[in-house]
Amino acid sequence: MKALCWQGKTKLEVEQVNDPVILNPRDGIVRITRTAICGSDLHLYDGYIPSMEPGDILGHEFMGEVVETGSEVKRIKKGDRVVIPFTIACGQCYFCKHELWSACDNTNPNAWMAEKLYGYSGSGLFGYSHMLGGYAGGQAQFARVPFIDVGALKIENGMPDEQVLFLSDIFPTGYMAAENCDLKPGDVVAIWGCGPVGQFTIRSAFLLGAERVIAIDRFHERLTMARDAGADIINYAETGDLVEELKWMTGGRGPDACIDAVGLEAHGNSIAAMYDYAKQRIKMSFDRPTVLRQAIQACRKGGVVSIPGVYGGMLDKIPFGAAFGKGLIFKMGQTQMHKYTERLLKHIQQGDIDPSFVITHRFPLDKAPEAYRIFRDKQDECIKVVLDPWQEAKAA
Amino acid sequence: MTITTNLAPKNGETEFSRRPATSNLETALTLMAGAGLSIFGFVRRGWLGAVTGSGGAYLLYCGIADLRRPFQGSVRVGFTINKSPQEVYEFVREIENWSKNLRAMSFKQEHGGLAIRFGDGEGAALTSRVEVTDEKPADYIAWASDARIIEHRGVVHFKKAPGDRGTELSVAMEYKAPTGPISRSLARMAGLDPEQLVREGLRHIKQLMEAGEAPTTAGQPVGARGVKGTAERVAFREHPVVEPQPQRLAGD
Repeated sequence: MKALCWQGKTKLEVEQVNDPVILNPRDGIVRITRTAICGSDLHLYDGYIPSMEPGDILGHEFMGEVVETGSEVKRIKKGDRVVIPFTIACGQCYFCKHELWSACDNTNPNAWMAEKLYGYSGSGLFGYSHMLGGYAGGQAQFARVPFIDVGALKIENGMPDEQVLFLSDIFPTGYMAAENCDLKPGDVVAIWGCGPVGQFTIRSAFLLGAERVIAIDRFHERLTMARDAGADIINYAETGDLVEELKWMTGGRGPDACIDAVGLEAHGNSIAAMYDYAKQRIKMSFDRPTVLRQAIQACRKGGVVSIPGVYGGMLDKIPFGAAFGKGLIFKMGQTQMHKYTERLLKHIQQGDIDPSFVITHRFPLDKAPEAYRIFRDKQDECIKVVLDPWQEAKAA
Repeated sequence: MTITTNLAPKNGETEFSRRPATSNLETALTLMAGAGLSIFGFVRRGWLGAVTGSGGAYLLYCGIADLRRPFQGSVRVGFTINKSPQEVYEFVREIENWSKNLRAMSFKQEHGGLAIRFGDGEGAALTSRVEVTDEKPADYIAWASDARIIEHRGVVHFKKAPGDRGTELSVAMEYKAPTGPISRSLARMAGLDPEQLVREGLRHIKQLMEAGEAPTTAGQPVGARGVKGTAERVAFREHPVVEPQPQRLAGD
């Protein structure tokens, strides 16, 4: 089959590899019909996530048709149309039983590596470094899905792929980020980053009853999309002090909740942002926590800082005194996917939201290396890329 | 309550803890290498000299410290398994379950004891004979090995976890092998680090009991690895834990 392989920093190749086979009794094999590039894939592309190896197959947002099931698979049948959550969960351990699916104990074959770095290991993920499982990803024509009975979300009523594909990661991720804010009527939410996850966070915050959402970015097309959802917008590149601006916009209180939908590759126009950039360049840090700092500083007393953006290592110059002094609540982590997929599918079926609004670019899999570059550099007003693994690339 | 983990008196040997840790040969080698590097470093001077000199000094220190060290090391590992102590005990007591899941070790029942073979079938291997010295069902199993090359003993505990979380399965063991710092590093590189072996063994028992299978990526498709990738694969020790049993190609 064809698969997109990581060959080093900013070096991707579409290669011919073996088809996946059933390795464990609870595995299933999916013929992928649509897959997407996630913002967190860009951290791999730019080489900020440790324990990637050349040859690793990327991709963790995918859906398709089940073509093969292992001997212990009961719920899912050959021929089912399924969306696959990006976290892999066994469904049996303490964490799975307590809806902490992304903390599953039993799905990371390389748990010892994550334990060395983080103390304990979370669940395995598709196509996201060896430390987090080393599973082959879904930017390919087929994928092997471990514990397919536990994770796969069946799509039964012929809804188009593009409407349900984002249940594999970014819609639940944005939704959990908003839910973590414990929103009450009248709450004001500030969201840093209007990329795909940010867009879903904005809409989820409104679904969950936020009075007002303030969206922050620097790209015109992303801010326009945020405004279409009903958010007030700030272009931080044209604003002086962002924290002061937010204070001004909220009657001096500050936002009730601040959401960092950016993560470790933040941009900014402050001295602190330049410092982060320099430190990352000389490999003294994996992360640029520019946004997180602003979110902590801007949040109202007793408010919530919710972090769907990905961080990898040690963060520097975090204003923890401010967090303590204001009594902030922090919520973060890989999305508890399995908790949300059914609930959000209902929202889509009821017509509360059509997730395909976020798609701006469609490519065949062969063009994936180019698509990564366009998405990373935000060329051509790119917000979200969807790949078709079976479409033949047109001759240039 | 005293749990017995000493086989030495029964075999007419000295106490478990009284034997020197390293063999004379390795101590001699370590001391010689240490002295050689130290002298080279002293003569060479400069940065390289400082580095080799301190390496040599460390080996000298290890060589001397190992001369009469009673114990080589200890391992303490625990996992919580979402099953009752009785179920976990029964699973652990069945030697078959260990044979299937501990990498680089194989087990054979022998008259009154258990023979463990370290090494994955090819090349050098060490064997060790183990007896259960004390046992209380669903509570603990204690073992000790005979005083051959690798000497070890310990206790496996099965304790009910608080808050309906199942069982805390733990292993506390001490071991002694005739190895100095050089062999220790070599053994670790070959995947024979006792702590790693025990931890991953317990982890697989947990995975099998809870999820019904041990997660694996051995046998999945992969692109061209390159030199660096192959080296990393060895460093990450991505050997198949359970032999992959490919059924057939998807879509056939």
